[in-house]
Amino acid sequence: MIRLALPKGRNLGPVLAALAAAGLAGEEMSEAGLGRRLRTTLPGTGIEVLSLKDWDLPLYVEHGVADCGFVGSDVLGEVDGDLLVPLRLHAGRCRLSLIGKGPGPPTPGSQVRLATKYPATARRVVALRPWGAEIVRLSGSVELAPLLDLAEIALDIVQTGRTLAENHLVELDEVEEVAACLVVNRASFQRHRELLNRWIGRLEAAGVAS
Amino acid sequence: MKVSAGLPVGVAALLFESARARRAVETRLVDRLEAEGYGEVILPVLDYAEPYDSLLTATGRGELYRFVDRGGDLLALRSDFTPMLARLLAPRLASLDLPLRLFYRGDVVRYQEERAGHLRELFQLGAELLSDDAAAADREVLRLFLRLLLASGAAPVEVVLGLAGALDEPLLRAGRAMGPDGPARLAAAVARRERGVARQASEILFEVVDHGLPGNPAALGEEAAARLADLLALRDDLAAEFPQVRLTVDLAEFARQARDPELLQAVGERAYYDGIVFQAHAGPSGLAVGGGGRYDRLFRGLGAAAPAVGFSLGLDRLCAPAPVTASVMEVAP
Repeated sequence: MIRLALPKGRNLGPVLAALAAAGLAGEEMSEAGLGRRLRTTLPGTGIEVLSLKDWDLPLYVEHGVADCGFVGSDVLGEVDGDLLVPLRLHAGRCRLSLIGKGPGPPTPGSQVRLATKYPATARRVVALRPWGAEIVRLSGSVELAPLLDLAEIALDIVQTGRTLAENHLVELDEVEEVAACLVVNRASFQRHRELLNRWIGRLEAAGVAS
Repeated sequence: MKVSAGLPVGVAALLFESARARRAVETRLVDRLEAEGYGEVILPVLDYAEPYDSLLTATGRGELYRFVDRGGDLLALRSDFTPMLARLLAPRLASLDLPLRLFYRGDVVRYQEERAGHLRELFQLGAELLSDDAAAADREVLRLFLRLLLASGAAPVEVVLGLAGALDEPLLRAGRAMGPDGPARLAAAVARRERGVARQASEILFEVVDHGLPGNPAALGEEAAARLADLLALRDDLAAEFPQVRLTVDLAEFARQARDPELLQAVGERAYYDGIVFQAHAGPSGLAVGGGGRYDRLFRGLGAAAPAVGFSLGLDRLCAPAPVTASVMEVAP
């Protein structure tokens, strides 16, 4: 039995599409098939699927409760454990960007407040910029912070940029590309190496991950 | 007055059954070590910080709990047995007969970010063998390591073997083209089996990420290729002797265990292994329960030439079920 952790939220669709493209997902491994169940055994496959929140998923895999899973690289930047990260999916990619009212990023030498769900990443980003920032940790609706002057800028995921445009915000600086990543527990990799390498090979051959 | 039963982050109290279970495993392992001719050493929990400074990487330095004693000395809580033991033995080596078989047990204290399963106080039990016959010593220590893992009762037992520095040459060659911190970033990517990065870097690194071994070992360099051939032979012998243990040779697992001084400082791993290295998973924990390797370099750094190999086991992880800890994984909504 191998346990695969799938993320709830924005990454689930691209992950299921990639697995389907690689011929690794039958009807049961679809949003409809999985439904609201937290764990699903796929008959005749030796696979149990766990449905986990993005932020919890790395912990489950690091502890070997799940052998492998898919999680966004934005989350790995915050709660990265001692995990293997063999693949990044192509679909569903977005970017982690500094956003604000504009027109540009903070001026050199200035000190600002930066709102984000990603404080560890934000500290790394600020360390490389010519301006300083007090990091304000938020758990959601980060775009509101610069809009309502809780912070001058924010660090958040940008997918299409439509939300920003609708709220008169601009993307000041693209920090990094974000992708859903396959993560694997170190012990599980050795234990299920043949199977995992087969999955990896099929995802690569289907052109949906590299 | 109401007294809080809370503990600081990263420490655990074992009460009643969990304490009994831990002591039972510890006793079994100590009996085995003594039966194999290893003698116990008891080391202090406090030591001067200064003698270890040159041996520490930035990561190791950041893990230390240091403070100024009343007399003005900079002291550190014990964070690792092996360097302390080496420091105490190095000046005495001339008067000691080799081979020397030692074991220790006790707590080490290391600062770690607050994360579930990662304690700051860890109970370790380990063994060291100082012997001029390096190949025989590697074999003896690995056999002992496997026997202790089996004696602990944890199952299944899986051990990955590798060689410190085996990938230094390809990492430096491909990494330098990636910028000043390229070799260190590449070593981290190989250790995480990032296929995209390894594929772009070089064919040999991709093969190692893919299979654990290069298709053509000669591409590692003559010396590393010869060491790898010896390691594979040792793995085969041990696999025949311990059929209940899954033994794998995988160089990617130890990509950050460098020997090259430039790479060593950059990757920030514990810096003293320079030969065979190994790591074990056992029982229900998905986290490594122990590991070790050859550390001749540590003695050289202390001004003594002594071939040495050893290992430690973390009893907190080896004893199932894992104890309840004060550590809380902070999970964002």
